[in-house]
This record gives sequence, structure tokens and C-alpha cells, in this order.
Amino acid sequence: MKFSFIDTGKPTRRRVLRDALALVVAASPLASLARAADENAEDVTFAAGPRPLVQYPQKRPLTLVTTRPPHLETPFTVFNEGPITPNDAFFVRYHLANFPTSIDPDSYRLTVKGAVDTPLSLSLVELKALAEPVEVVAVNQCSGNSRGFSMPRVFGAQLGNGSMGNARWVGVPLKAVLEKAGVKADARQVTFRGLDKPVLPSTPEFIKALDIGHAMDGEPMIAWSMNGTDLPFLNGYPIRLVVPGYFGTYWVKHLSEIEVVDHTYDGFFMAKGYRVPDNDCFCIAPGTTPAQTKPISKLPVRSFITSVKHGDVLPLKKSVLLKGIAFDGGAGVNKVELSIDGGKNWREATLGQDLGRYSFREWTLAITFTRKGATQLMVRASNSAGELQPLQADWNPAGYRRHVVETSHVTVA
Amino acid sequence: MKSMKLMSRWLCAAQICLAGIACAAPLSITLPPETAALKPSTLPGYPLAQQKCSTCHSADYINFQPPGMSLAQWTAEAGKMQHVYGAPISDQDVTIIGAYLAATYGSAKASDADVLAASNPAAGQPAPAPVAKVDATTLLENNACLSCHAIDHKVVGPAYHDVAAKYANDPQALTKLTSSIQHGGSGKWGDIPMPPFAQLSNDELNSLATFILQQ
Repeated sequence: MKFSFIDTGKPTRRRVLRDALALVVAASPLASLARAADENAEDVTFAAGPRPLVQYPQKRPLTLVTTRPPHLETPFTVFNEGPITPNDAFFVRYHLANFPTSIDPDSYRLTVKGAVDTPLSLSLVELKALAEPVEVVAVNQCSGNSRGFSMPRVFGAQLGNGSMGNARWVGVPLKAVLEKAGVKADARQVTFRGLDKPVLPSTPEFIKALDIGHAMDGEPMIAWSMNGTDLPFLNGYPIRLVVPGYFGTYWVKHLSEIEVVDHTYDGFFMAKGYRVPDNDCFCIAPGTTPAQTKPISKLPVRSFITSVKHGDVLPLKKSVLLKGIAFDGGAGVNKVELSIDGGKNWREATLGQDLGRYSFREWTLAITFTRKGATQLMVRASNSAGELQPLQADWNPAGYRRHVVETSHVTVA
Repeated sequence: MKSMKLMSRWLCAAQICLAGIACAAPLSITLPPETAALKPSTLPGYPLAQQKCSTCHSADYINFQPPGMSLAQWTAEAGKMQHVYGAPISDQDVTIIGAYLAATYGSAKASDADVLAASNPAAGQPAPAPVAKVDATTLLENNACLSCHAIDHKVVGPAYHDVAAKYANDPQALTKLTSSIQHGGSGKWGDIPMPPFAQLSNDELNSLATFILQQ
């Protein structure tokens, strides 16, 4: 199979409309509203202006974050189409630019080595036959999703809210593979690496680690199927690690090597990168340095309105069905609330179908606006562990795990 | 056995895979060409950044950073590339690249005293004596050519062996190669562009091109 590239350098229809609107209202009292609309989820500001949509193999046009290594975001409107993110819209993120562009599933091998009784070199056929396949619907979210909204700003890939997605994954439990190899008694962690490698030998390799207890608890999975078909190439074909409830950094793509180690793995992407302040909020005051850090782990509870975007004009005295998604690290979202008055009053939304505790959960709420003018729509979720989204964003040096209550500026007219 | 495999490949290609037939043709992709470029500047950090940063990542990594970052912040970021990600850049390169990035993408101005000082670290010192001999090995080292190229295998760019083989029977080989080094290029060896090395003298270009064609 061969996929080609189509450049779509044209501005989006929305941007054209927005720019036209901006011209009309620039000199009017509505100018401040237009400015608020500019602080849109997909309009993070960059040193070089707005990002284009680009087309990569097996993908619909996605928002460009970086060309090499590829990093593409899901346009936010996709999340309004349903709780499952289609494969061709699913975000793409590589750390290192040296990865193959052709993979032969016949010769592909997954090796298992280290502190095991029997090192393995499994073909895909052997892997798939190793245990009864399991299925989970789970959110994969970048640690740095929404980093572009971090204030003060921080360096790193400047993400909007599109570096997340929810898919139905099928594979075998990691536990089954490790049991087949036989984990030795002194095992402490399990490390994972894929086919994506550094360009230079002096650059750290992208290797991630899970504690042995987590690796053996039955939840992490080696998946080959995403929403009923093979993984798209850029999402880790032919197999990737799926770690339900954990940030995407652990979901190693093109998984090729598993090593059981008798110590805490100290490679760069565990010991130095992808770390958060080691305190209750995983946050610090901007400009300060955390006393201690630890590896980033579970997704905090988050929610979004997907049916309305910044700058929308909503009708007066007419029922509007607001819609969105909520998710968390696996405790399970148990409540979604909306405010249409900037956070003074909150009303509870109706939760949609439960696709599992690691999935996006859709919510809806019919609202009839009774007052004209500019207002703020806010959405907040809580989970059965008692976590509630904060009204004020917290801050950490790398701009990880943003989960503040989201606000959409709209006008009722 | 072989015919079975051919058969199943044909079925795959025709997208009429039947249940039970293993469709196992390699999956290949073609990544889009790299078009992002760094913003031009007269500062010496511009050609340096073109050469060094593009070894590992495209220019949009830089273009899409937040606006308004300071000289100190951009210099620290360039330093992070050196220390954390193993970029083949010297302490002096970090200072010069940081100044270019801060003046081009950040809050600094190209005319700021600290940007100028950082961009010209040798100012005020006597100019180094001209190098008598233009030695290819030294040029390869000083210009970080070997970050992207090796003699006998592809790294980011092609192996020098392969370049030499391609131009083995081309009477224009030296001219073409010196031009490629001086002006950069893309498309001849894949999509990752070769940055221009415009600061090299004709002697230096000749020395490098001659060396490469002998491999």
C-alpha cells in the first residue's frame, strides 16, 4: 500500500469567516468579543502565526504541529462527531525523526528479554495467538495536550486541545506476554521501545517504563487493532502499547522490544523528561523549580464542550442542545456540570452511553438562554474518586496535564 | 508456498481480502515533503541554525514556539538541545543560535547590544590567522557535516560513498557538488533538505567536494 501527500495550504472556511468578522467588528464595541474569539482552542499563538492543515498518509487533513518528526493534531470539531475518534482523524506524535516508512508484518518481531526465564522473539501471528484477545475503549492523550494555553508560556510542542483521541483497542494483555516469558522474582520495572529512533547516537532513545505491578495487572495491552482495523502506520503499526488511563507517552508505537529490569529504569524519557512536580497538584508557582519530581502517570478528569466554539452566536429563548465529552484516568466520570453565567450557577448534564471507564463519555444538556449579550459557557466534570476540575489553571514547567475548567465565550442574540 | 503468498498479496492489492487469508504485504508510507524554513536574518546565528537544528528536526519546531520568549530563554533552549538531546553544537554555537532565535522569534531585537555581543563572540579579539591549508577533515568537523553524513552509510543525508558513485561518470560532478553544498538542496536524496553552507569559501567548497568524490 502506498499513500500520497496532498498539500492543503488554503485557509479554513472558519478562519476566513472569522477574519471577515474581525474586519467588520474591529472598530465596534464588539471588538473585545472578537479578541476573545481569537483565544480559541485552535488558535494558540505562535512565533510564526497560525498552523496549516496538512495531509499525511492514511489521515484526513490534520493540524500541523511539526513536520519532522511528525506531530499532528485532531481538528477540534471531530470530537463533536461522536465518542470514538476515527483512525484517519487520530492525532500523531513522534519524538524522534528516525523511524522506518515501510514495515513488513511477516518479518516483524517483538522481543522480550531481561529478567525473564525464557527470552522471546514473537512474530505477529505468534503474538496474536498467545492469548484470548481483549478489547478496551480508551483515551490516548498527550501529556502536553493544551500546552499552548499554559500561562506563562513554556517551550515545547505548542498544542491546542487536539492531541487526544478515543479508540477501541484490541490486543493481548501485556501480562500474558510477560507470563509466557516468565518474569523473574527480582523484576522491578518493564521497559518498552519501538522502531522510532534518534537521528544522532548522542540523542537519548525513546524508552518508557512501567512498574512490574502495573505491567502485570492485566490492563496494559499490546494492541494491533484500532476501531476494528489495523493501527494506522503513524499511530504505531503494527503493534503499540496501550496503557488505559495513562498519558500517551507510555503508549509506545511500533513496539519492538520489551525488557524486564531489576531496577528503576533511569533513561532520559523516564528520569528527566515527562516528569511533574511531586506534590498534590503536580504544580508549582511559575518561575520556581519543583523540589521533587516524578514520572507523569494518570489522566486527570477533563471535559469539553464540543458543540459550541468561541465566538459562536446562540439564539435567545430557544432550546439549544449543548454537547460534549468528559473523561478521566479510569475512576469513571460521574458528573458533568455546565454554567452559562461564567461559573456562578451550575446545572447537571445528562451522561451518554458508558463505553467503559477509560473512554470519552458524551454528555448533553438542553439550555434556553433568556438574556441577550456576551456570556461564558463553562463545563466541569468530576469522577467517582472525588476529583473535580479546578477553575484556575495550575502551572508546571513543561506544561503537562492541563485540566482546568474550559470556558467558551459566546454571544446570545 | 510462494504462489500462495503471491496470491494473497494480489488479493490484498485488489482489496478483496477474504477472512482467513493473511494479508501481509509491507505497509509503506510516503511522508510529505518538508517545506518549513527558518525566518531569514542577517545575524550569524541564522545559517548556523539552518545547518545544526535541521539535523534532527524541521524548522516548524522553532517557528511554532510561543512568541515573546527572551534572549535568556531562547539561549537556554538552544543549550537544552546541546546538553539534553546531544546536538553537535559548541557552547559558542549555543550563544550565537540563541541570539538569532531571540531576535527573530522572541522579544529581543537584532540591534540589541546583548544580541550583537552574543552573535559576535570573537569581536574585540584579534582575527584568527588565516588557515593555510583547507583540510577536508577539519572542514567536515567544523561544519558538523558528519552529523548528517557518514562515509559508508546513510545517516540523515546520503553516504559519501553513494554521492561519489552517483557522480562517478559525471564531468560536472565537482561543480554540481560544490553548488549543492553552498546552496543546499532537496529532492535528490529524499525529502529532508540539505541546508546551505553559504559561508564556505570556494577553496573550502572545492576541498569538501573533492574529498566526497574520492570516497
